[in-house]
Amino acid sequence: MAGGTMRDIRRRIRSVESTGQITKAMELVASSKLRRAKERAQSAAPYLDRLYRTICDIAAMNSDLSSEFVRIRPVKHSLLIVVAGDRGLAGGYNNNIFKLADAALAEKDAKVIAVGRKAVERYERRGCLYRGFAQAAENMDLVRADQIARIVVDLYQKGEVDEVFLYYTQFVSALTQQPLELKMLPLSEIAGDGMPSAEVEYEPSAEAVFDMIVPAFLKGMLYGGIVESFASEQGARRTAMESASDNAQEMIGSLSLALNRARQAAITQEITEIVGGANAQ
Amino acid sequence: MAATYHLTVMTPERVVFDGEAQNLIVRTVSGEVGILARHAPYVAPLDIGRMKIVDGEGQEHIAAIAGGLLKTDPESTTILADTCEWAGEIDVERARHAEDRARAYLENPTELHTQEIAEVKLRRALNRIQIGSSK
Repeated sequence: MAGGTMRDIRRRIRSVESTGQITKAMELVASSKLRRAKERAQSAAPYLDRLYRTICDIAAMNSDLSSEFVRIRPVKHSLLIVVAGDRGLAGGYNNNIFKLADAALAEKDAKVIAVGRKAVERYERRGCLYRGFAQAAENMDLVRADQIARIVVDLYQKGEVDEVFLYYTQFVSALTQQPLELKMLPLSEIAGDGMPSAEVEYEPSAEAVFDMIVPAFLKGMLYGGIVESFASEQGARRTAMESASDNAQEMIGSLSLALNRARQAAITQEITEIVGGANAQ
Repeated sequence: MAATYHLTVMTPERVVFDGEAQNLIVRTVSGEVGILARHAPYVAPLDIGRMKIVDGEGQEHIAAIAGGLLKTDPESTTILADTCEWAGEIDVERARHAEDRARAYLENPTELHTQEIAEVKLRRALNRIQIGSSK
């Protein structure tokens, strides 16, 4: 009887150990990816900050400009760009961003552009996927961001969508990630932030400049959002795997204790039996 | 000594130049422009081309630049580019490979590499080769 329990405990220890090895390996992979992703997100940050401020200034200088990107239209259809991970096992990373996006999806007639396999699968099932980009976040570059930006601009210019939101996860620190909703189009709300300044020359024309800069702006924001989300994913996965590894260690500890107790009990019982047997004779 | 102004050149990957400059020559979509100190406020999208900066000490710097925009205001001038490399950093061999690949895609466009994208890649590669080999 006692031998059976001990065998069970040994088997469980082995299984927890191998799970622990996997979570430890995933933790290490996530740490090293995190380091690279963090660097990328941080070097993009000043560019994005400047880009955002520049577009604010330009939009403010042109408050009368009737660019279609600034004008507010009655909203019939929306476009949500949702950035999530390619894999699970990253704590609440995927769920947090889905929760935010789903709340918007529930009350809008919306199409979804999904970045990351988890997001593609989810919105495909729900039948609202417009385009999906799986496995794109890790090697995101401006060329790819440009492809997505072009799709967005195209949909917006054709009038198929009247507003565009980006859902991404802000990388606050390796331990904290914040799911965010960002309105990308129309730009009217952004335009209010800038300071109107002196007369500005535009070449070839104000309208042409604006229409060229908006796609560049979307491209930059998409790139930044996706790079930040990827860093967040790695951070979330590292934290989740770290606590999983810790839990595995703890479980191995308590299982070893139980194993030793069972062994002790078995030995004690054997001795008692022998002594009892000897006394009976 | 010529008057200088603050110039910042940024790409999503890094800050390429951040300092005083006397002169900047860069190609916008409507042609080459030169920016000296106290330029009037001006905004223009950039084309693929060569950028020349004369810094505060009168040193010339040449770079290959592609895409983005140029904005000047009374205090400073900002270039937000998609890519930008100094002439000395350009890997001409790699650019030649990129040229070959772009030409191949131009012949046989795919969904990912449409003719339009291939054309842009080809122009970027040729620009890099030209600037990289003239250093």
